[in-house]
Amino acid sequence: MGKRGGLISNRIRVLREECGGITQQDLADAVGITRQTVNAIEANKYSPSLEVAFEIARVFKVPLEQVFQYGKP
Amino acid sequence: MSFREKSLWVMLFAMGIAAFFYGHAVAYVGHVQFETLPFRAMTVDAPMVAMFHIAVAVLVAFAILGHLLIVLFDQRTDEDERDRLIALKGARVGGVVLAIGVFLSLWLAVVSTGNFGFTQLLLSFWVLAQMSDYAVQLWLQRQGR
Repeated sequence: MGKRGGLISNRIRVLREECGGITQQDLADAVGITRQTVNAIEANKYSPSLEVAFEIARVFKVPLEQVFQYGKP
Repeated sequence: MSFREKSLWVMLFAMGIAAFFYGHAVAYVGHVQFETLPFRAMTVDAPMVAMFHIAVAVLVAFAILGHLLIVLFDQRTDEDERDRLIALKGARVGGVVLAIGVFLSLWLAVVSTGNFGFTQLLLSFWVLAQMSDYAVQLWLQRQGR
């Protein structure tokens, strides 16, 4: 948790657009984190805890692996 | 800018103001000792203690006033897991700075006859540790990590 997410990528920005243009603030409020943290996660600068990752997937109503991907270089 | 970030700027500013005030006040009230005694023989006297109390009051006043202003313009006071992790990283750096200060102060206490150098060095490193903590947290917040 929390280290720079070099190997973990995500589709949060795409999913926000697909779900009718949810803003970072909307997502942050729904998950219970700050907008700055959503921004850091989107930019792959911060890897969230499992709880937050599952909460984000729950907001988009998709499985976790459709939001976050783990890929070795 | 998040509430946490604004709060850190307030604390950094308040600590800087209080430290600046205390440094100048001690230099002013201690000028007789500075002119008559060697540094190692100087002691903390009542006016210096009074200046310390005023500096703490200045710190508390600026911190409360600053946070009141933030809350007035920003209702979001929530803190999340990333903020807590950043706070831990800041505290780790602050802890290292404070540890260095403690050992330097102990060395000064051993080689001094008065308590002035020991007290001021330890206090200076505590302020430095706090400001390092805030600065590291602000840097990490700005980096988005």
